[in-house]
Amino acid sequence: MLLELNHIYKWVTQGGRRVFLLNDISLKVEEGEFITIMGPSGSGKSTLLNVIGMLDGFQEGEYAFLEESVHTMKEKHRSKLYKEYIGFVFQAYHLIDELTVYENIETPLLYKNVKSAERKALVADMLDRFNMVGKKDLFPSQLSGGQQQLVGVARALIAKPKLILADEPTGNLNSKQSEEIMKLFKELNEEGVTIIQATHSEANAAYGSRILHLLDGRRDRK
Amino acid sequence: MFRNYFKIALRNLWKDKTFTVLNIIGLTTAFGIAFLLSTYALFELSYDKFHENKGSIYQIYTTSQAPKGPESSDANPIPFAAALKSEVPGVKKITRYATGGPLLTYKDKTLSIGSSWADPEFFEIFSFPILKGNKKNPIERSTVALTEETAKKIFGKEKAIGKTISIKRDGKETPVTVSAILKDFPEASSLRFGAIFNFMDLPDSFYKSKKDRWDAHNHPVYLQLEEGTSPEKFEKSTQEFSTLHFTNDITNAKRDGAKPNAEGQYRQIHLLPFEDVSFTDLNAAEVTVSITLQYVILGIALLILFIASINFINMSIAKGAQRLREIGMRKTLGAGKTQLFFQFWGESILIFSVAVILGAFLAFSLLNSFQTLFHTNASFELVATPTIIIGLIISLLLITLIAGGYPAFLMSKLGTLHALKGKLETSGRNRVRNALIVVQFGIAILLISSTLVLREQLNYMRNKDLGFNKEQVIAFPLKTKKNRKQLLKLMRDELSRKPNILSVTASNNILGLGKDGSTSTSVMGFEYKGREVKTNLLFVDYDYPQTLDMSLLQGRSFKREYAADSLSVVINEAMVKEFGEKDPLNIRFVINDSLQFSVIGVVKDYNFQSMNKSIEPMSFFMNSKKPMYHAYVKVAPDNLSQSFNTVKAAWDKVEPDTEFLGSFLDDNIERTLVKERTMTTMISSGSILAIILSCIGLFAISLLVVSQRQKEIGIRKVVGASVSTITLLLTKDFLKLIGIAFIIATPIAWYATSQWLQDYVYRINLTIWTFLMAGTIALLIAVFTISFRTIQAAIKNPVESLKAE
Repeated sequence: MLLELNHIYKWVTQGGRRVFLLNDISLKVEEGEFITIMGPSGSGKSTLLNVIGMLDGFQEGEYAFLEESVHTMKEKHRSKLYKEYIGFVFQAYHLIDELTVYENIETPLLYKNVKSAERKALVADMLDRFNMVGKKDLFPSQLSGGQQQLVGVARALIAKPKLILADEPTGNLNSKQSEEIMKLFKELNEEGVTIIQATHSEANAAYGSRILHLLDGRRDRK
Repeated sequence: MFRNYFKIALRNLWKDKTFTVLNIIGLTTAFGIAFLLSTYALFELSYDKFHENKGSIYQIYTTSQAPKGPESSDANPIPFAAALKSEVPGVKKITRYATGGPLLTYKDKTLSIGSSWADPEFFEIFSFPILKGNKKNPIERSTVALTEETAKKIFGKEKAIGKTISIKRDGKETPVTVSAILKDFPEASSLRFGAIFNFMDLPDSFYKSKKDRWDAHNHPVYLQLEEGTSPEKFEKSTQEFSTLHFTNDITNAKRDGAKPNAEGQYRQIHLLPFEDVSFTDLNAAEVTVSITLQYVILGIALLILFIASINFINMSIAKGAQRLREIGMRKTLGAGKTQLFFQFWGESILIFSVAVILGAFLAFSLLNSFQTLFHTNASFELVATPTIIIGLIISLLLITLIAGGYPAFLMSKLGTLHALKGKLETSGRNRVRNALIVVQFGIAILLISSTLVLREQLNYMRNKDLGFNKEQVIAFPLKTKKNRKQLLKLMRDELSRKPNILSVTASNNILGLGKDGSTSTSVMGFEYKGREVKTNLLFVDYDYPQTLDMSLLQGRSFKREYAADSLSVVINEAMVKEFGEKDPLNIRFVINDSLQFSVIGVVKDYNFQSMNKSIEPMSFFMNSKKPMYHAYVKVAPDNLSQSFNTVKAAWDKVEPDTEFLGSFLDDNIERTLVKERTMTTMISSGSILAIILSCIGLFAISLLVVSQRQKEIGIRKVVGASVSTITLLLTKDFLKLIGIAFIIATPIAWYATSQWLQDYVYRINLTIWTFLMAGTIALLIAVFTISFRTIQAAIKNPVESLKAE
């Protein structure tokens, strides 16, 4: 078991009333799964991904990652955990504009204090794998959307995470670029990386092994 | 990691060239000026700190109770020093001290050298190292010690020690032998001389004739206390000494109704720590150590740095908003708070280092003009002691830590998700920003209004009717090796035939401060109708009031026709009051138990002293035996410079060996205002800089505010807002801040300037208009600065700004 969510509640108080963002969500994820979270805008897809990715907290419930309970963990330990095991891919790519392709991919390694020689080797492998050796000195603004998202995926993969969280990874891409990225995810999943993606697209959902429907913060089990 | 930070820092700075340049310009100017100003202030504060016995050296002054209140003086009678040492325990070393500018002759060369006379213990108290010659006692009778510089001036490359030079004393050339060469002094020394003689070698009129007199006060005394003697205790133990030696003065004071001081004393000897001497006026009624100017200047330096740092903080925070995504992303990628903090702080350090280096260059290149502008010898080498260098480094680090660290701290503690979404909880942040802008403009308004007040007062002092004609009168010292009287007569004859020369006179004192820098006061007390009256006295030549256009209120002035005028006196109004007589022309008084003088005329009060003193009683005497030291020539009002040349030419003809040091009296008055001028220039330049820096900051903030509100502006325009309403909308918030700054700064400025004006008996009245003017100036400049960007934004086609979102 990679992670387990047990009756997670998350809410904000608006005008004295609780508005639930996540309402009694339970979820078990085994290593090697490819899960798709679907639902309309505002259904809580991103919130759920952020909770899983430990970027966001929750008010009630339990969350265990690799048998360790996340909700009782100290901030420092938690950030160590996700540095180690989790990679993020965003709809808006979120590359750092001032860094080149090479440097963007390298950044997570810097924060993990990987030695310079090893970093070079790892980044070179990654560039090779994504066929981006020729583009390594370009800045994000010089790339197309699909290429930027490739860099985003490469950056998420560089630290060899067990889990990739992808929040609408193809939302800003055209259909051809989407397909490329989804194929890449499929490939990675076959190599053993667990993937959880949030998406609107039925076509993308088809790549996954399991689909989770959300509506207004609840599991939609119709 | 470090390289990565460095790279991204450079790229970020490069990307926002406007901000980087604005920041660097602001900080560079601030650092450069702050370096210069603090060099000046530290130099002044370092005066007399180089003596090894610092801490146990004191100058003596005496506060005596007069009927009008306490009076202080640093002048002592000749037998005073020796008696004090032998009669009051605690004195380790003591020396008398006198200064003058005698003419020294070697072979055919005659020079006027700033000289001192002291007792041999002088060299044991003060640290003036002797390089060569008699190290034990360099000033035995009839010997002289010269500084290296003076020795070079007199002897050139010749060996100086053992040579004989002659000094003019009591009308005769007297030989003295050079016994020692002294190391040139540090610039920051208030005791300065080129040659130093034994105190007993002073002219007879100064020394020998007053050798046993306790009523003739003519020189300062310095002493070193024994270890373990506290100055307070010492002062107390001198009370008996004063009572014993100054019985007469004390009896007179009692008789005239003076009130004793808090301890019941009529005469108290005080010790002033020698380090404080250069900041003190020992002849003021109440002796206070005044280092305000130096601290005001240090304060201005700090304020300027403060303003520039506020700019930096405000710009960095505002800029941070544009880097939120990067911050969020880095956090998701595993960056910790500390790592982010160091990244952003590192960027600040980069900017600050560049600014400090450029600022240092700026300071170096401006140093020369700075020195001339402020008449100072201050330079970086002179103040660069290890303590100050370490202090400087620590303060630079502190500034970067606060100014660079605060925005870095704010950014590093942002929540990951907030940052990623690019949302900034703006309300709290804007409050900090607004508060900082208020402080900035408060400082600027404070400095501007002080400048305005200072300028007003300076102008007032320059243009005030002093009671004599300062525009048309040229004064010059009668410095000569010949007979002064003879010289005056020759000058008079020479000038009498010239056109444009209206009249010539002389006196034994100068008005204002002459080119030769000499000043003196002489005060005399005598008994009149059973009580003591005091007057300043001046020995004048014929035509003195006429030449200086003083108005004669009653009676007449000295006239050549009256043979008995050597026993006549002309007094001023204040002296009439001092006598307390209704009919001044009937006053007769006796001086020295023998000579009876009568008042023949009264002149209107005129300011013969600086304007921080009220006009004191003054009496003119005419005694043909008294030497005249300064001549006054009144010239016709037109073509002043030509008349000046006429006088100079006459001097050069009559006395070709000595330099002509004449100047118009208004220049002399101007010279007395050096302190005020320096302060005004410093504060004006400080305030100009402050307002410029504040506006740089405001400009940057307006750029950011406009770009943040672009969408809002677009929408408002679409629904029909006009250019002027939008400009007003964008400007309003800033104007409010400046208004608050004005309200806060004005009372402070009012208080500070009125305190400063208290020093001047003759001063302007503060009005609210000066301060309103300062506020308006700040406001106008600020509006002008902001309008650049706001109007541009308001004019812009709304379609563009909406599309950008």
